[in-house]
Amino acid sequence: MSLEPKDLLFIAAAIAYLGASVLFTIYLLGGPAKTGRWAPPLVAAAAVLHAAHVVWSSLASHVCPVQGVHFTLSLAAMLSALTYSLVRWRWRIDAVGAFVAPIALTFLLASRWASGETREIHPLRSALLPWHVAANLGGVALFTLASAAAVAYVIEERLLKEKKLEGVFQRLPPLDALDRAGHRFLALGFPLLSFGILSGSLWAHEVEAGGLSAVVRAVLGYVSWGLIGAVLLLRSAAGWRGRRAAYGTMLGFSVIVLVLILYVFHGAHTSTVAIVP
Amino acid sequence: MIIILGVSHKTAPLDVRERIAAATDDPDRILTRLSSTPGIGEVIWLSTCNRVEIVASVKDDAADQVYYFLREELARQAGYSDGEELSQYLYDKRGTDAIHHLFRVASSLDSIILGEPQILGQLKKACDSAARLNTIHGQLGTCLQRAFAVAKRVRSETSIGLGTVSVSSAGVDLARRIFGDLSSCVVLLLGAGEMAESAARSLGHGARALRICNRSMGRATGLAAELHATAVPWEQLEAELVEADIVVASTASPIPVVTREMVRRAGRARRGRTLFFIDIAVPRNVEPAVHGLDNVYVYNVDDLQIEVSRGLRARQGEVEAAERIVQGELDSYVAWTRSLEVQPTIVALRAKVRSILSSELERTLTGRLQHLGSSERAALATMLDSAANKLLHEPSMRLKARAAEHGDAQRLAAAVQLLFDLSPPLLHGETQAEPAELSENTAERPMVSRVR
Repeated sequence: MSLEPKDLLFIAAAIAYLGASVLFTIYLLGGPAKTGRWAPPLVAAAAVLHAAHVVWSSLASHVCPVQGVHFTLSLAAMLSALTYSLVRWRWRIDAVGAFVAPIALTFLLASRWASGETREIHPLRSALLPWHVAANLGGVALFTLASAAAVAYVIEERLLKEKKLEGVFQRLPPLDALDRAGHRFLALGFPLLSFGILSGSLWAHEVEAGGLSAVVRAVLGYVSWGLIGAVLLLRSAAGWRGRRAAYGTMLGFSVIVLVLILYVFHGAHTSTVAIVP
Repeated sequence: MIIILGVSHKTAPLDVRERIAAATDDPDRILTRLSSTPGIGEVIWLSTCNRVEIVASVKDDAADQVYYFLREELARQAGYSDGEELSQYLYDKRGTDAIHHLFRVASSLDSIILGEPQILGQLKKACDSAARLNTIHGQLGTCLQRAFAVAKRVRSETSIGLGTVSVSSAGVDLARRIFGDLSSCVVLLLGAGEMAESAARSLGHGARALRICNRSMGRATGLAAELHATAVPWEQLEAELVEADIVVASTASPIPVVTREMVRRAGRARRGRTLFFIDIAVPRNVEPAVHGLDNVYVYNVDDLQIEVSRGLRARQGEVEAAERIVQGELDSYVAWTRSLEVQPTIVALRAKVRSILSSELERTLTGRLQHLGSSERAALATMLDSAANKLLHEPSMRLKARAAEHGDAQRLAAAVQLLFDLSPPLLHGETQAEPAELSENTAERPMVSRVR
């Protein structure tokens, strides 16, 4: 069996994500410092290979990257890895890559399962749909990063409270840097998610036609939007920072992941790519 | 030979070190005077809070004489009646021992706090001063450069410089792990004693603002003026807790001055901002229950001491690896310097061989082979050059290797001089740069250039 270039790019990207995940794991477990230095560039390399894979696949199948759930999943993973690579140094969140790389790898692999035919798009929706999907996938990418920062925060905060300052604690980014980064990712992602929700609502009356799965997806989409909105609101209004904000972010992202799972396992055969409604 | 005469925390109590350091507060003047002393080729003066050392390169046969001179000089400067009185505190290192000591000092293996980085900077500064005054230029200069390289290797190949080794630095390290950059942090000192001052000096440099809150406002104001900080009245403590990011508590209060309730109230106005308490007071100044509040962390002396012990243990564990690097570098450096000792003899041997071949060539070219053209003459000269090089290469290499390995350079050199009837070359220590110059400019000049 001969492999096409898009398959080779897929494999290369997956190996690079896997390599970065392994290096980060070794680093966090107290391995040599150089593993921590090599892992972030490997995430960037993986993101570039991943982007090449998406573009190649898109050209090969004559499908716009945002018009298929498999591409969308893939794009969200790629965008999160790329965004991490761009901001990690400035925001001092290198070790967050330890959570981004495995998530990106999971999304990349999941996009294989989701790959399938794309439905012909209704002429009335076709103009708005790519924007709707692009906003959603941007939001998903940023929430992935926010969630990765939140996980790192929760771990580090727990160790600090328990006064266990050896090992992983020494390798994670500063606590406040994680909190700030998580908030920034959420604040940037929320308007995108809101646009996705609003644009999706325009054809919400058709959701019933998609069956129970589509209804659940829509409801969960609103729930995730509400959760993330609440995290941002409570942070500015009631000073919900740190651990509370981190748990809220993780909860919101978990709901988004549920939506994505529904797409991957129940929505690919009929749906285009509306991640939320 | 390199000799070192000095006192350090290992050999002399603080008052003796202070006395010597204070008496020698103008190192430039001392360096200039020492460098013009007969028998001393090069010299540097190293003075830190833990050691005062004179490092000099001297002729082998003048080492004792220079030692006594330096001892008397040091004693006179420090106000001792004679060198004998000071000798109980002094150490005297010579030759390989001195180089080993220098490598260890540069690598911070001889410091009170193992692996501390300041000593390397202090040694470099001493070296710069000596270079500026032209009191180092040869053997000692090379040795110091090697010491810097050794120190760099030790720091990069071991973890001897990592970890925290004092309570205040443990607090600062932890603050950095929480806040990252301290430049946006407000530091609040509770108490204005020595501990507070020490912590403030560690923390205050990079902080956005430093505030000092003390029961005695006068003392707070005095310390604030010294540290470019702001003094605040004790009554404003709770209000200050709203603004602060890092609180260093070190008052002499027998009961906690910061309670859970106080921090909880301040927490509302803080809107969830992280608050880090470094409680270095005994008895503790901050109620332990404060640590249970959201986004508030309290670390006391015991918690920080654990970090310090861990840091020291980690550094101690690296000593063996660091000593191995130092020993390896020392062996390699000593071998190199030994091989240099036979270099003048090798140069003299090559010069003699070339001189003989050159005169024989000239005699032949003006006699039986005078009919040869210039290209043939050049070819003949090149052939002799090449033959001489090949013939002398092996003995030269063997001489250097043998000298480096067994340290019998002088005996070997004497044997070669005897065998080939060479006049004794310049003694080692007089100059080490000359062999290269000799070989490039005169002795190694190809015969081909002479026959043209």
